[in-house]
Amino acid sequence: MVCYSRVVNQYLALSIGLPGHGFHLAHDPLALLFLAILAPQIIATGLGPDRKSVAYWFFIAGMVLTVLAAEAFTLLLGFELMSAASWLLVLRGDRKPATLYAGIAMFSGACLLPALFIPPGGIAFSLILLGAGAKAGLAPLHAWLPRAHPAPSAGVSALMSGGMVKVALYILIRYGFIVLGAAAQPWWGTALIIAGSASVLIGSLRAMLEVELKTILACSTVEHVGLIAVGLGIALRAKALDDPSLAALALQGALLCAIAHGLFKPLLFLGAGAVKHATGTSSLDWLGGLIRGMPKLGGLMLAGCFGMAALPLGPGFAPEFLLLHAVINAAGTGEIIARIGFTALLAILGLSAALALGAAVRIIGIGFLGRPRSLRAAAAEEAEQPVLFGMGLLGILCIPVALFPGLILLLLNPVINQLIPGAAQTPLGYAPAPLATLLLLAAGATYAALKRYGTKAEREVHAFNGGFGKPPAWLPFGDPVTQATGTGFAEPIQRVLGVAILGVKTIDPGELYVLDPLRRLNVQFTRAAERVRRATIRQRLAFVFAALVLFLAALGFVQGA
Amino acid sequence: MNNLIYPFAHLLGGVILICAFALLSQRRLAAMITLYQFEAMTLTAAAFWQGYAQHELALYLTGGITLIIKAIALPVGLRRIVKNFNITRAVETAMPVGLSMILGVGLIGVAVWVVLPTTMNAVTLTREDLAISLSVVLLGLLVMTTRRNALSQVIGFLSTENGLVLAAIGMPGMPFVAELSVALLVLMAFLVVGVFLFRIREHFDNLDIAGIESIEKQGR
Repeated sequence: MVCYSRVVNQYLALSIGLPGHGFHLAHDPLALLFLAILAPQIIATGLGPDRKSVAYWFFIAGMVLTVLAAEAFTLLLGFELMSAASWLLVLRGDRKPATLYAGIAMFSGACLLPALFIPPGGIAFSLILLGAGAKAGLAPLHAWLPRAHPAPSAGVSALMSGGMVKVALYILIRYGFIVLGAAAQPWWGTALIIAGSASVLIGSLRAMLEVELKTILACSTVEHVGLIAVGLGIALRAKALDDPSLAALALQGALLCAIAHGLFKPLLFLGAGAVKHATGTSSLDWLGGLIRGMPKLGGLMLAGCFGMAALPLGPGFAPEFLLLHAVINAAGTGEIIARIGFTALLAILGLSAALALGAAVRIIGIGFLGRPRSLRAAAAEEAEQPVLFGMGLLGILCIPVALFPGLILLLLNPVINQLIPGAAQTPLGYAPAPLATLLLLAAGATYAALKRYGTKAEREVHAFNGGFGKPPAWLPFGDPVTQATGTGFAEPIQRVLGVAILGVKTIDPGELYVLDPLRRLNVQFTRAAERVRRATIRQRLAFVFAALVLFLAALGFVQGA
Repeated sequence: MNNLIYPFAHLLGGVILICAFALLSQRRLAAMITLYQFEAMTLTAAAFWQGYAQHELALYLTGGITLIIKAIALPVGLRRIVKNFNITRAVETAMPVGLSMILGVGLIGVAVWVVLPTTMNAVTLTREDLAISLSVVLLGLLVMTTRRNALSQVIGFLSTENGLVLAAIGMPGMPFVAELSVALLVLMAFLVVGVFLFRIREHFDNLDIAGIESIEKQGR
């Protein structure tokens, strides 16, 4: 509590909580920003059926409490409340991921607990990075996220992916920039950048290769968390190296990315839940042609995928643009190794942008276009009104982020000033609104010109149609096997990149090198414990005896020395 | 006579240590009981001698209790048990005798190593007596861990207790020596009675875990 200082002096002390201590709540620009990120998601998911569950509200209360906490105890309490409530919600979906999730949540708590109370320094930051990073799904502790996030109901998945990881990143920002800010070292930022770029690469690649709709979205969350972490890392490094303008640029990218991701990812998760509700499956290989049965949902999903793919004029483009700028700037300064590293990072970001586009195209192309691959997909009906309303809200909020990112950046200025005092705000070199207007004008003019001068004559040609045959008479929806499946669509990427990075069996490195060794360790510990339990009384006696002799010898050694 | 106090106490302590060491090497139960009896008798003599040297009536009392119960009653009882259970020849060691002897020597080394520097300020008599008693305690514990037979383990435990009493009587001004030895004796008696009168287990090794194992097999 001593090491937790707020810029604001005024705070709200509630009399509930520890006896004689209570909660201390305060708000500053950073907290308000994250509240603003959380609010639309909470409204959108609260419209769904999840609002009837008590754990859902505890989950939200935990997130809000964490963001508004004015001292370490309240922060940790909110964080643990959030973990416990979301564990219950995951448990309601599936048992195995819930266990994995509980383990990760405990690990985060165990890392954060000492970190919040030890003096500022490298150890404190490492613990924060481990704890908050594990919760946010930063590589190498990300393998749980694609398993646990898809498990609960759609609203909770949306909130976990859009909100909970942001809260973890909030802790990282709060401590990295403010509480431990005075002791910041350049290597803190470097560690964040390395973890972030690994997350970006693995997340985008897995998002391209997975078949489950919600798993794809969860992998994409790993990617976006990685992007935010890269931005934060560059900012932290630049701040420690005394380059406030670069730090401000990278921070702009990271925060804008957090805002955009907090809008389009819950939208997509809600949509995935609606698809599962309508068709009984969320596996891409069983979907197809949904846009005919559920056009509104399809349109909203298209908007969300637009953001996920970081296409120009979409909400995801401006942050990526800023991030790339920051990386290019960083690659232009510093020593040779840093330059090489940032150039490689540039390549990774480019690759991941391409992969994210592929994943978005895959969701829309396989899931919503083409012919239905199953009867239930063919018979899908439009999603329920509240879900569509929530998604619509998130979609509408995407518009200012997509078209007026400059305005949002102006609103972000107090936050950036709070995190990096004396930073020069660089104006955004990307103006989508005029661009969109120009494009709209050009499209309208072309349409008008075609209408006016185009020929009306018709000409019949034989269509190749991508290998599609005419549907046979006994299969009204066409032969499903004549279409590419989700797996087939991803096959070339799997051959070129998947084998190189994930191996032949496409096992996540986080799983292979982190979770599997832990599992083996667990088995070994269990065996050792079992041996102890089965020991005869003589063996136990010998053990105690050996310990006694050892202590005596140590005593003698100490005395003799 | 006064200049004999230290050498004689030391001699008695040394004899007890030799007995404890011999217990470690002895494989046969009957011989172990005899050795234990001899150890207890030496302890009695040591108690009397310390009583004489320190002019302490309580130590005579301790010596008397030791003589009657440990040197006479317990060995007689143990012999009877051996006869009744017909385990005269049943001595198996869990460890080769040579190895346990080497370990014993190591333990004596540890005891000396610990006690001598720790008690630098005490009088010489106490220091060496303490080293000897700690060695006897450790050797008794070693007997307990290296034997499978419950009776041998009990004898090891009794020898350990002898070491404790030896430490107590060698300490000038130690209060409640007699009470301590009586309390330890009660403990011993309970152990012996518990093991043999109620026949809890013939061997400590064969703990009754058959039930647990069957449950485990079902779990697999």
